Amino acid sequence: MNENENENNQSRDVFDAVADPTRRRLIELLAGAEELPLHELTAQFQMGRTAVSKHLTILKEAGLVLDRKVGRETRFRLNAAPLREIQDWVAFYSKFWRANLLRLNQLLEEEAE
Amino acid sequence: MSLTLSLDFQYKTTLEKLWSALTDSSKLAKWVCNIQTGEPMENDFKPVVGHRFQFRTQPTEYWDGVVEGEVLIVDEPNRLSYTWGSGGEKHTVVWTLQDLGDGKVNLHLEQSGISNEQALGGAKYGWSKWCSELEKALA
Repeated sequence: MNENENENNQSRDVFDAVADPTRRRLIELLAGAEELPLHELTAQFQMGRTAVSKHLTILKEAGLVLDRKVGRETRFRLNAAPLREIQDWVAFYSKFWRANLLRLNQLLEEEAE
Repeated sequence: MSLTLSLDFQYKTTLEKLWSALTDSSKLAKWVCNIQTGEPMENDFKPVVGHRFQFRTQPTEYWDGVVEGEVLIVDEPNRLSYTWGSGGEKHTVVWTLQDLGDGKVNLHLEQSGISNEQALGGAKYGWSKWCSELEKALA
């Protein structure tokens, strides 16, 4: 699978993907490096490579991680773009509640009069 | 940025009045608006745990105009929580009211994008640290 296909094939919800502490740690690790092979990632956890690999698959499904084969090893890197989705809803609801809570202030002031 | 939206507002009012504004359907209709159109949103909210409610506004090309939720916590007059689902996403909203004295009440809002309990439990673990890492990743 090439990178473009990976990016367009987001089959998992990004919120779901970041709901797990191991996966957040993986994102942190990948954010701090250009690219990391599975064994270097696995070395950071108490769990085995199969378990770490499963978490990476979930991150891949959310489009957060891209991988490529180099010889016999698979290297992983972060694709932060889907995290924008999280930023976007924060921005939307921040605006929504700020506007409405100001309206609530008017309502309470009117009631007080 | 944060995965949990957190806002604080202070109002010159009483706990009881603020609680009523947050839980009484007719009062909610006076301030919860569609911010795009400024039109009030109709609702059938009730402060009863397990009650399912809707807030509705005119549908658009991009949104069916419906917010669906279920009441999770009713701890009058201090805490109120419900789910808030719209456009395929489900969030959890928690309101915390605190009397500051001097006729002032603090209203704290938290809205998280992750709605199941297990995920929220996980979210507490290193959340703030993770968010700063996330900022770096997005930079």
